[in-house]
Amino acid sequence: MLDLCSISHKGGIVLWSRSFTPDAAQLASSSASPVNSLIREALIEGRTADEKYEKDGYAVKWTFVNDLELIFVVAYQRILQLTYVDDLLAALKTLFIKYFEPFLAAFVASLHALNSAKAAASQATTWDFAKAFEGWDTIFDKVLRGFEEKAALERKSRLRAPVRAAVEELSTPPSDDQSTEPSVNPDTSQDEQQIARNVQALKNRLRGRGGRRGGRGGRVVDSSSGRESHPGSDSEATPKKKSKAKAQRKWGDQAPTESEMATLDFSMDKPNDAHGKLDLQALVDQSSLGTRTGDGMYEVKDWEFGADKDANDAIANALKPLDSSKPKSTIGSLFARLTGSKVLTQEDLKPVLDAMKQHLMKKNVAMDIAEKVCEGVGETLVGQKVGGFQTTNAAVKLALSNSLTRILTPKTSTDLLLSIKSKRSSALSSTQQRMPYSITFVGVNGVGKSTNLSKVCFWLIQNGLRVLIAACDTFRSGAVEQLRVHVRNLSMLGVNGAGDSKGRVELFERGYGKDAAGIAKEAIHYGRDNDFDVVLIDTAGRMQDNEPLMRALAKLVAINSPDKIIFVGEALVGNEAVDQLTKFDRALKDFSSASGAGKGRGIDGMLVTKWDTVDDKVGAALSMTYVTGQPIIFVGCGQTYTDLRQLRVANVVQAILSD
Amino acid sequence: MAGGPQSPPPDAPLPEVTLESVPPVIPEVLPPSGLLALISKSRGNALLLTGPMDSGKTAIFSRLAYTHSLPTLTSLQTNSSTISLSPSKNVRVVDVPGHPRIRGQCTEHLGDAKVLAFVVDSNTISRNGAAVAEHLHTILHSLTSLPPSQTPPQLLILCNKADMLGKNSTGSSTSTLAINRVRTILERELEKRRVSTAGGVAVEGLGEDEGDGGEGTDGNAPFRFEEWEGGEVVFLGTSAKPVEGGDEKKDGDEKSEAEDGGLAELKDWLEENM
Repeated sequence: MLDLCSISHKGGIVLWSRSFTPDAAQLASSSASPVNSLIREALIEGRTADEKYEKDGYAVKWTFVNDLELIFVVAYQRILQLTYVDDLLAALKTLFIKYFEPFLAAFVASLHALNSAKAAASQATTWDFAKAFEGWDTIFDKVLRGFEEKAALERKSRLRAPVRAAVEELSTPPSDDQSTEPSVNPDTSQDEQQIARNVQALKNRLRGRGGRRGGRGGRVVDSSSGRESHPGSDSEATPKKKSKAKAQRKWGDQAPTESEMATLDFSMDKPNDAHGKLDLQALVDQSSLGTRTGDGMYEVKDWEFGADKDANDAIANALKPLDSSKPKSTIGSLFARLTGSKVLTQEDLKPVLDAMKQHLMKKNVAMDIAEKVCEGVGETLVGQKVGGFQTTNAAVKLALSNSLTRILTPKTSTDLLLSIKSKRSSALSSTQQRMPYSITFVGVNGVGKSTNLSKVCFWLIQNGLRVLIAACDTFRSGAVEQLRVHVRNLSMLGVNGAGDSKGRVELFERGYGKDAAGIAKEAIHYGRDNDFDVVLIDTAGRMQDNEPLMRALAKLVAINSPDKIIFVGEALVGNEAVDQLTKFDRALKDFSSASGAGKGRGIDGMLVTKWDTVDDKVGAALSMTYVTGQPIIFVGCGQTYTDLRQLRVANVVQAILSD
Repeated sequence: MAGGPQSPPPDAPLPEVTLESVPPVIPEVLPPSGLLALISKSRGNALLLTGPMDSGKTAIFSRLAYTHSLPTLTSLQTNSSTISLSPSKNVRVVDVPGHPRIRGQCTEHLGDAKVLAFVVDSNTISRNGAAVAEHLHTILHSLTSLPPSQTPPQLLILCNKADMLGKNSTGSSTSTLAINRVRTILERELEKRRVSTAGGVAVEGLGEDEGDGGEGTDGNAPFRFEEWEGGEVVFLGTSAKPVEGGDEKKDGDEKSEAEDGGLAELKDWLEENM
């Protein structure tokens, strides 16, 4: 039912991935893979707070392991309601880390080489990824099958209790995962024989488990007592006997891999391999880990015993380290901080993130956005190690500033002049006439559309372009006259600068009460016939909730398909910014696609006005870019024609973060 | 329980281990003149991989660092690894993400870079030439605006995925084909950018003084890489995929690298110039 599952490093290297359908396989290897779009459109832009990302009919869910810098992604058809995906991700995460942690740690370290001294170390280990992750396929199959069967069971039977218990068993491990991970390392010191024995035992157990799970589907589950009996019986039986019986019955087809693994275990000449196997055992049962961390060392016997404990015990044990770490935290964490091994937890981060959220809101960032940004920052920080004397606060601040920079940095070109010139100079067939570059200004009432349109016009004139202003605000009295005044002023200013005999700027007007879309069309045609370079279309201000007006605007866009649609918003806006932008964007996309002009057009960029009135409370800029993902092309910051600026991301980030 | 969970971590997380292991290793690699020497020495010995998304930076990186071509996704963060070109020479390779929102990280590493490799997908360059040129423009600009005290890194343009280009062309080798194509398109696009900014009035940046200059080509001469003021620009054709026809195995391909495919050309060049 899944389409794609992948485990990758944040640096872009895929460690393991599997596609379940040919289509998905093809897609996954192309750059249009849903995972790629997830990273580009959600993760990099800081939208990590959302639970799920949808693209091209795929729903994509993901989870991070921050200290190992891994991303686990699952993609499936959006129409499917897969309830187990979250649990599956969590289980995969836990298992994968437990099995392969040393290898992964070495791998991640090799991606952070800081100087040549490290070279020797990284060169020494041979990187055999195929071998390192050998065996993971089998485990993955098992886990997935378990979840799918459970889901099927849930759908069929109305006995919810046992199912939930089972799900819990598998979903709880992730929570304790972070705290117990470090303990995996000590066992690398074990001798090979022990390791081999452990591996064998664990494998047996694994096999037994898989068989059991497979069998459960057939059996009618009879509430929680049934669940408990399985682990119990497991612990009583000698692992070997049991596993053999099971292996023949259930896993006959996979015998070759098992034997392969076994031979590999005993040969032990590959360090990576040993680690992988070793972890594998550690992963299988959470319970043993909890106890192991307690006394620091453990023996094989203990280990097996721990492995056979039942699920409840496992959960209890797994939770222990978490709880016990609390009391000694004062000294412990101080020490940890000194040695630079402090790992950030959700609890550490919460107060700091809350404070950050308040701070952002004080800077006029919309509440939803502040929340989402902080959540996203938190997600990238949990599990990370804070080095040296760096406080949690500083770490959060740094992460936040990175995140803000990412959000504000434009992902498309903001070079308006270049795109105008390239359109004007693009090759045309002889029958075609050169169309002017058209820019539409949209926005709510009174934000300064006309005023800033005239500033943009001034700038374009200064660059030697001929500009036609289309007065498509046919509603507000005085709108056309206002533009006429601007045109009069600009034509005097512009002609002075450059000695062109032709008027550099003209107004195209058709009076009031007419259809704006029609006027815009006429204006563009007029511009084409009279060799204007740019047509600036001024529209009437409208509230985002006014559907008839939004439809009219969408019609204007659909009919004329302007090269740029610029949303004009004021910097004073707070929470309203989100609503305005989402609704304008949505209305434009929905209505313009409905009227049959191909796919819907959204907003291409923003112009933030009244910037000079907000001092450093520039949160609106953040809200706006976050909502649309589009760049702020200009900032209006004064009353004269020259008061048009380009946004400097660093400045805005600094202003937002300043106290 | 209390002390238990805390005590294993110091040796568990690898970053610490590597940090601790640094000092003892230094003397082997460098003359024992202390950490300062290390820092000054390690300055400017890196190969910086940058370029637009989907051009194959991480693939090249993984080929260099792990000798495998691993499947890759869009990178979220910078990768950095050390490779040895020859037994005596170790080079740091830094792979900077190409997503427009985070590619600015490139400038952070400029100081350490000896060679800056701008990786371009030779297949899609004709479609997204303008965007690539814009990216290259910012990089050219950041190179020319380095402080004079710093020797700017050598610019290398890697025309990647050259193997996909040459399936049907038999005349010239695929890498020369890729190079010609990339060079022509980039020169054309950069020229467009130059013309549009020349004599134009840029909008001032908010609260900062104007920092954007043209490409420095004076007068009306169209932009050419040979005449770029920032130094010589080297073009190389590469491909991160294992060479076709040869052994498909990763290890096999390393040895049987044909001259017109793979990274052999890049490796040779790096060995000579780094």
